[in-house]
Amino acid sequence: MNSSPYVIDVRNVTKTYRSGSLEVEALRGVTFTIEHGEYVAIMGPSGSGKSTLMNVLGCLDRATSGTYLLDGVDVSQLDDNALASIRLKKLGFVFQGFNLLARTDAVKNVALPLFYAGVPPRERSAAAQKQLAEVGLADRGKHKSNELSGGQQQRVAIARALVNDPAVLLADEPTGNLDSKTSVEILALFERLNAAGRTIIVVTHDENVASHAKRILRVLDGLVVSDEPPARLSLMKS
Amino acid sequence: MGAYFLEAVNVLAANRMRSILTIIGLIVGVAAIVAIQVAAAGMSGAVGGIFKGLNANTFYVFPKSEQGNNVRAGFHPADLTMLEQLPGVQTAIPFSGDRTMVDAGHQRVRLKFGGESDRRFSTAPVVAGHTIDAGEVANAASVCVLSDDAFSRLFPDEHDPENVLGQSIYVGAKRYVIVGVLGQTKIDTASLGFDISNDVAIPYTTYYNNYQRGSAFLGIEILGSASGDPKDLENRVKAALAQTHSGSEYQVFDFAFFLKSINGFFAVVGLIVSAVGAISLLVAGIGIMNIMLVSVTERTREIGVRKAIGAKRSQILAQFFVEALLLSGLGCFVGLLLGVLLGGSADAAFISRISGVTAPIPWLEVLLIAAGFATIVTVAFGTYPAFRAALLDPIEALRYE
Repeated sequence: MNSSPYVIDVRNVTKTYRSGSLEVEALRGVTFTIEHGEYVAIMGPSGSGKSTLMNVLGCLDRATSGTYLLDGVDVSQLDDNALASIRLKKLGFVFQGFNLLARTDAVKNVALPLFYAGVPPRERSAAAQKQLAEVGLADRGKHKSNELSGGQQQRVAIARALVNDPAVLLADEPTGNLDSKTSVEILALFERLNAAGRTIIVVTHDENVASHAKRILRVLDGLVVSDEPPARLSLMKS
Repeated sequence: MGAYFLEAVNVLAANRMRSILTIIGLIVGVAAIVAIQVAAAGMSGAVGGIFKGLNANTFYVFPKSEQGNNVRAGFHPADLTMLEQLPGVQTAIPFSGDRTMVDAGHQRVRLKFGGESDRRFSTAPVVAGHTIDAGEVANAASVCVLSDDAFSRLFPDEHDPENVLGQSIYVGAKRYVIVGVLGQTKIDTASLGFDISNDVAIPYTTYYNNYQRGSAFLGIEILGSASGDPKDLENRVKAALAQTHSGSEYQVFDFAFFLKSINGFFAVVGLIVSAVGAISLLVAGIGIMNIMLVSVTERTREIGVRKAIGAKRSQILAQFFVEALLLSGLGCFVGLLLGVLLGGSADAAFISRISGVTAPIPWLEVLLIAAGFATIVTVAFGTYPAFRAALLDPIEALRYE
């Protein structure tokens, strides 16, 4: 794939928002790396810069300064269209609210990134169907998104995120809209995907969700304040 | 591109009511413009039919009304002889024809009554007897030929025109023997705004003797030969008359003139309808822009997701542009069909029935009109909402509730 061992290599990244004369430093020099196949949780209270970091990592936004290498490519200074194609090829997004296209069946939803990648229709459907099978929804391909349960919708969203075989799966509060039983299913799916070699980054404020990751980055006041494996919360719980 | 269309079809189908209401303005505008095009084409066809139904090389000469000495400009039999010697003139007869009361048996009907030559101006078929012949013209015989209309009104109980041959009609105290009956020409020129054929025709010499003798007559009806430039002939006729009438000025009425007045009428109607159509298209376009902006706002989050997934600006632009194109295309297509239907029915109900000519629908023109409007409306009113969508910031869009 790439000579660099890191799929994400963030060096001294800052992000400053200007609103009028007011400057807000959302990120104040963040440095960390993530290797291929890692499962990382990013945690932090609201206002910590967690969302900004996720936007920068997700190539939805550019850092004000510093460098960001994604899968060996410096994406710090790319323009909007180049960022769009990076998102298309190297990133898969999973959102809290699933964000599937309404009135559209699961296969079409999953195939959407392939459509933007210019893959021919027949190949799109085949790849989407295969990806749906991998998240355990082989028999739900023709169901419209509004005919699926929340957990199923999130799994369709995960299939959509993975259909382009991205370098990183980026999940923003993926269980925020799900009940605890379904949350467990989704987190189990993440673990299974990670075991199969997927690099996963989950942004969450939920300690329980974060505890499933193998590493937790804690963000506070625009800085990474801790970077360690999760405390064995499961021990405390049981 | 196909996928954008499918996508747009889905979106529009999901918002069926809204989509239909949005394009009604467009439908009305395009239908109005297309209908007038179809009707105008039918009208041109009908005018073409008149050319076929009557000798197209007929024209009428009158003194210009705004000159001092109308007595000097007036016509006399010598003028006819002079004109008939001009190359290209088949025959020249006094202009005649008036609505007058005609009696036959117990029937008394108001009909157009006038003189004619043995060289026929009308191409109506002869169904009984014969048309006025050269001998009857030379002898100023008291004979007449009836049009189908005159026949059916003077002899309402008679079905076979052969039976009226030899019977007489009366115009005032004068008696005329029926020698011929004509069939239908299918062209009622009177309904088109001018009336050139007579219902009851007698030899023009008879007409002159009985009604015009002793005074100058006001116009000459000329039948030119089929070959040759009609304008040139008209000019030569005017010049010859000017010469023999010491510089008097003359004017000519021909089919080009009738055609011009018909076309002029249609041009005005067309202009008004087009203006109304243009306004309705403007309003419709604004409606489409409005609904597209609503659509963009409603789907802000969806646009954010699409962008996060990796859609380029151009791809989002294309999606909304195609949606606008589909909306306006649909409106224009329905408008086209409706317009053809309306224009076609108007043709069938009025124009074709009068002229007996069914003009083909100008499909190419109306298709171009509809396609043109769809393009204009899309580009003028679909571009801005599509750009709004394309330029949305993905982070803001994803946050939108």
